[in-house]
Amino acid sequence: MPRFYFDIFNGNGRTPDEEGLELESHAAARRIALDSVRSIIAEEARDGVIDLGGRIEVKDNAANVLMTVDFVEAFELRMPVASGNRE
Amino acid sequence: MIERLLRKLAARDDISPEEEATLTDLITDVEDVPARKTVIRKGERLNRSILLLDGLMCRYKDLRNGRRQITALHVPGDFLDLHGFTLKQLDHDVMSLAPSRVAYASHEKLTRLTETHPHLTRMLWFSTNLDAAMHREWELTLGQRNGSARAAHLLCELRERLDIVGMLSGNDFDLPINQTEMGECIGLTVVHTNRVLRELREEGAATFAKGRVIIQDLEKLKSWAEFDPSYLYLGREPC
Repeated sequence: MPRFYFDIFNGNGRTPDEEGLELESHAAARRIALDSVRSIIAEEARDGVIDLGGRIEVKDNAANVLMTVDFVEAFELRMPVASGNRE
Repeated sequence: MIERLLRKLAARDDISPEEEATLTDLITDVEDVPARKTVIRKGERLNRSILLLDGLMCRYKDLRNGRRQITALHVPGDFLDLHGFTLKQLDHDVMSLAPSRVAYASHEKLTRLTETHPHLTRMLWFSTNLDAAMHREWELTLGQRNGSARAAHLLCELRERLDIVGMLSGNDFDLPINQTEMGECIGLTVVHTNRVLRELREEGAATFAKGRVIIQDLEKLKSWAEFDPSYLYLGREPC
């Protein structure tokens, strides 16, 4: 199985993945990336901050970027309607 | 063969030579277990308990969606399932994380031990109570500690437990697991685990890479984790 590396880029800078993870497919790697973004943002949300400006770059053994998952892709965002427009 | 169990018990209370002989006689059938092998399945009928002699093993539970919670790590000198003696089956699985060596205590012999050796019985009871105390601390971690404190706390706990059985070099120790498995201990995804480990490394508290933990600043790590070792009952107290 190929090995995938998940480097995080966000407000804290770059966190390179030196260990990597063996996964069956790109789809599995994408699922892991999305799951991880949700886990990281969920923790930050407990401290009152939601910063969706980051991304995860998924790389192969040769450091080629296979895909980029922007943090915003991990969420469906629902914002309140401005109060003036309420019935 | 059972030196690490003896060290663990003797750190808490005196074990007489006769009791030591009884424990030595209790433990038989040494067996090597490869890494990542499940040795007990939930619900399986048990007629013996397993003592870990060498390596690293864990208790875990899985959800249908594949998510796994490692509920306890076991270091040499720990019984993996002494609670199985009274429960007769487990509500969780047990697996090796690293290549390990185990030995067995038949429940028949354990029954006899409880009838003839009340003090040893209380010592073994202590060890299952200690397991329960660690589960409570892990609950606090999983329910309330933030990501980096979860990792820091796990490292502090393992340092104390490995110290008891003589497996530290300075403050450093082997931890032959990967970041996925560490994440399964502390309830974080592998990528999130990598990020919290970076935080500990950049703070100059500890590094975990390639199966080895290097503690750079123990006081900082403890304070980060709010680590209070009282739940490990490290002191000596007549049992």
